[in-house]
Amino acid sequence: MSPESFENLRLELRRGCLVVAVLAALREEQYGYTLRKALAEHGIDIDEGTLYPLLRRLESQGLLSSEWREQDKRNKRFYRLSHDGELILKQLVAEWRAMDEALNGILDGNLKQGEEKQDEKKQDAKEKSHGATRAVPASR
Amino acid sequence: MELLERYLQAVKFWLPNEQKQDIIAELSEDLRSQIEDRETELGRNLNEAEIEAILKERGRPLLVANRYQPQQYLIGPVLFPIYRFVLKIVALCYLLPWVIVWLCLLAFSPSYRVSHGNWAMSAMAGWSSLWVLAVSAFGIVTLVFTVLEHAQAKSRFLENWNPRRLPPLRDPNQIKRSASIGELAGNFALIWWISYLSSPLLVNRPEIRVTLSHSWTYLFRSLLLLAICNMALAGWNLMRPYWTGLRATLRLVTDGIGWALFCWFLKANMVAELVIPSIPPARVLLIRDGANLWMAKSLPLALVFGVIILGVDTYRIIRVTRKDRFFAPGVPVTVV
Repeated sequence: MSPESFENLRLELRRGCLVVAVLAALREEQYGYTLRKALAEHGIDIDEGTLYPLLRRLESQGLLSSEWREQDKRNKRFYRLSHDGELILKQLVAEWRAMDEALNGILDGNLKQGEEKQDEKKQDAKEKSHGATRAVPASR
Repeated sequence: MELLERYLQAVKFWLPNEQKQDIIAELSEDLRSQIEDRETELGRNLNEAEIEAILKERGRPLLVANRYQPQQYLIGPVLFPIYRFVLKIVALCYLLPWVIVWLCLLAFSPSYRVSHGNWAMSAMAGWSSLWVLAVSAFGIVTLVFTVLEHAQAKSRFLENWNPRRLPPLRDPNQIKRSASIGELAGNFALIWWISYLSSPLLVNRPEIRVTLSHSWTYLFRSLLLLAICNMALAGWNLMRPYWTGLRATLRLVTDGIGWALFCWFLKANMVAELVIPSIPPARVLLIRDGANLWMAKSLPLALVFGVIILGVDTYRIIRVTRKDRFFAPGVPVTVV
């Protein structure tokens, strides 16, 4: 598998999570630059070209509210989770946790099955090697 | 900071009008914050190369602006596979035959070449016509699908569908009974028709007499035999309507013989004698020679069609004998 394919899948996997992360981070009012830094500190790197259009989309859906305010002698646009956004965030978090649990179940199940298969293989190999050592004198 | 202003201006150009100011103000603020942060880190002002690096990292202005635009397309993902399929059909059924005919004319018709001056000019003229045809066909199909896409976006007509109206399971090795019956009827009509033409004296009336060459007798018998073979094969196909390796090979052989006979017919100066008392003999001779010449000139076209038919027959044999061939559920695998 090429690194490019992995990167595409990784981005696809992250896409939905970013919305949850942004909504959760905006429970406290922030402007774009500090929001990006806050997300990066938590291990979620998001480039500006993704973040700002996403903020606009979420605002147009009524999940965020924003206002221009002066801070440090410069106009900045501050975003905050709206009432609708809070409700949606709760639902998304519930969905996320359910999915996380389900996925963990699948992964653990597969891991256990994988371990069992490995044990079976080892057992088979042992039996074969015993059989072979017994068969040698018999064939003579 | 001039570089930054130039960058913002370039982004602004591509932004949607109603959001231009707002987006640029926010983008400008974000970039300035990033520059300030970097300056605090370094304890000095950034030079032009460092600002250039920040802008480069941010991305090409057109791409940055595009991210603020809604997704736009002429033909969306629902219609695109159909659009591609139609383009392929147009290329195969319209452009390819055109190219084949043009190549035949170019290769075998001196009058076509003379009408354009010389060989190179004929090739150039054909090539430019092909481009005009291809671009027009592509343009028309694209236009039609763009209109359909708009209609689909509004009415969602493609979402209304009925699974019961899906086409039946397709088995390429199945022979339609209607095709076998048609073949039987066609060959029967051919036998009935050519049985009247057994003598080389094709027409014998006071006003016209047409006599074919002696080779007609052999050709007639061969055609008769071939038609009988074809009828037998069609009858077999009717009873067991699935292609097998044997029958597909027989079809290739009969088509090959039929094609060879037809080519022979075209090339054999078949009209041996033509008598029309009302026309001067010299002119009648010209008509006879003209008929023979035109038949001979049709040979390249017959060759091309023959190659296509034999190609289809060969492909059928390959398909039938392939191990992973497709069988419809419930269809017996071993059919002789």
